[in-house]
Amino acid sequence: MPQPGQPVPTPYPYADAPLFPTSIGPQPAGLPLHSCMGLNSCRGSDRYGLTGPPGGKANACAGQGYCATTADHTCHVQNQCRNQGGCGLYGTAEEMNRPAKNECRSLGSCATPINAERFSTNGPNQGKSVWLRARAVFAEQWPERREALLAKTETSDVHRDLPESLGAPPAPFAATGPTYLWITNGNQLRSNMTACGSSGMSGAGGCS
Amino acid sequence: MSTLVPAAPAPVAQPDPITPLTPAEARFVDWLDSHSNRDEVLAQLKANLQTAIEIEIATIPIYLYAYYSLNRNAESGENIGPEQLFANKAGGTVMSVAIEEMLHMSLASNVLYALGVAPLLYGKAPDQYPTGLPYHNPQGPRGPDGQTAVLIPLSRFSFEQLWHFLQIEYPERWDITPEDRNWQTIGQFYSYIRCLLRTKFLTDADFQQRPPQEQAQAIQPYNYSPNNTDTVYPAGKFDPWKPAPPVPIPAWAQADSYASGAQAAVYPDHADSHAGLSELLTIQTLQDAAEAIDTICDQGEGCPVPDVGPGSDDDPTKDEQSHYVKFLRLQAQFAEYATTTESLPADPPPPKPIVPAVSQFELELAEVVIAFPDNPTSSGYPAELQLISAFCSGCFQYMLIMTETVYRVPAASQKLFFNEGMHRSMIWVLDKYIKTIRNIPVGGGKFMGPTFENIDLGPQASSFVALTELGNQAIAAAQNIINDDPSGPMVSVMGDVIYYIGVALTATGTGGQPMHLPDVSQYWRDAEA
Repeated sequence: MPQPGQPVPTPYPYADAPLFPTSIGPQPAGLPLHSCMGLNSCRGSDRYGLTGPPGGKANACAGQGYCATTADHTCHVQNQCRNQGGCGLYGTAEEMNRPAKNECRSLGSCATPINAERFSTNGPNQGKSVWLRARAVFAEQWPERREALLAKTETSDVHRDLPESLGAPPAPFAATGPTYLWITNGNQLRSNMTACGSSGMSGAGGCS
Repeated sequence: MSTLVPAAPAPVAQPDPITPLTPAEARFVDWLDSHSNRDEVLAQLKANLQTAIEIEIATIPIYLYAYYSLNRNAESGENIGPEQLFANKAGGTVMSVAIEEMLHMSLASNVLYALGVAPLLYGKAPDQYPTGLPYHNPQGPRGPDGQTAVLIPLSRFSFEQLWHFLQIEYPERWDITPEDRNWQTIGQFYSYIRCLLRTKFLTDADFQQRPPQEQAQAIQPYNYSPNNTDTVYPAGKFDPWKPAPPVPIPAWAQADSYASGAQAAVYPDHADSHAGLSELLTIQTLQDAAEAIDTICDQGEGCPVPDVGPGSDDDPTKDEQSHYVKFLRLQAQFAEYATTTESLPADPPPPKPIVPAVSQFELELAEVVIAFPDNPTSSGYPAELQLISAFCSGCFQYMLIMTETVYRVPAASQKLFFNEGMHRSMIWVLDKYIKTIRNIPVGGGKFMGPTFENIDLGPQASSFVALTELGNQAIAAAQNIINDDPSGPMVSVMGDVIYYIGVALTATGTGGQPMHLPDVSQYWRDAEA
């Protein structure tokens, strides 16, 4: 029987991208955690952290980061903090219209990071990319978030040069968000990320 | 805390209108107006709403049992075969109905709550299977086995079990007399409630029997969502690597002609399948109550067509089929459908056989239907497994307790409680626990299915303690099995049993915060006295 995800696209298109990091690197102090690629608020805030990917440099500014800094979770209401929900698999229309933006633990929706294949199952974004919606919501919120961060620069590691406009996400994923192909290193490490659901349509490995 | 309360859903532009009374219903309302009185009507309404809650609760284990007998994603994407495709469609469809039954349970509960009565759910599932539904006429239309008994078994997904689903959802004939006893269809039962609501004795004030603070503790519309990743199913083969639209498909993913998962997705439920402003309603007026009852009837049996009977769909856009039609269309894809002698109503018209046809044999050969036993009980399972089964029933009962508890939680905290209680228990505890125990052989070539029994957790105030005790006993039982055969085939399964009991009772986050089910005791202190 074919294994999950087979056939795998070849050749692997992300040979030049850094490996998906399974652990979260050192973070600048005082930065809000975030749930996916391109949703970071500051330089050095992403999954690789201040040291950047192996052989590379830390991301340069808000919106350019690689993937989530939250504790990874696989499902609705399993988030531990504010803005840590992913969305798209379970949740209400209202929740699915604002992925990665929730008030506190247990009020977020689905798994992080938000893989590019994931679509919303309810609401105005039904059938469309969750990551794109999350990025759009983040961009809408950015001016307000930026002001709040600028006010914190005296007590945190937030860089003072917060751009008025978000930087572009890493080039291979700028249009789609992080693909499951990259997250699993070409389908070899499917346990790098799981997402709930029985339909097999989350675009990621199931959690049971 | 007020920031935790989500905004109310946006009003729907054109909700479907309240169903007008049929001539038979109008005659019955006239009769009630002239032969009954306010006290009798109110008493009947309250009693029948509690019965409605118990009818809806009765359907949930029956549908979930069939749902969990389906193995939905052993194959996926481009490799999905016809049997797996059907199993996934059947699973999504059955779950889409089960979710709406939970909605109906909540709607009936909200109407009763508005009348000043606390809905009773704990311990109100059927006591044994096969079961009749409360006050259902025990004789119904002829089934595929030639029998007319209306006794619904707890049974795996099959052509025959779909017939029993049809017995539950059988559509109401046009202009039939409302009945609250010995009813033929659920629509006929709710028709009786609809008539009580239309009598001259009731006013909006009857649905405002609680102070505003308590009214706000009814189950709120923002908790309901019609679809999720479990109701969705693929229309056919799809490429799981293609990103969701509207992004451009990367060049590396364009090699085949398959749609992305997002493009292949079918949504069996639709957001407009309701009367009133939203699917889930809180009740302050007669109109609200009538809308809640209409949503229940329409989703089950279809929007009524005057002088004909129920239609095939339940929503203004005609995108969502009624429960009856959803189940009948699944049955119509079985090979047996072409020659079945079951008695189906003329309206809505039965579908022609749907291809590609499947058979039970093929589904079992493809291992997409798990061999669950019929009408299991924990005490009927092997002795060493009984506590593991009992914990599943304990979780089911605790879910019903948490639903009762919602009405006691301060409004500002309801969303958090609902998420940590209801969602976590459904998605993270019960779903995963059942998918774990269904790997446990119970003899005779069968595997453990959930028994959904009315297990006694004691008073609600101490029910979490009782569930914890039950969980500890189940953990000990699982550990004994591991100890007895440390390299045996059940070690991994029993490890998962222990893990998911921990998720229910003791899990914490990285900061030590509770990530398990909430202990409801603080909300029931007054009931202890």
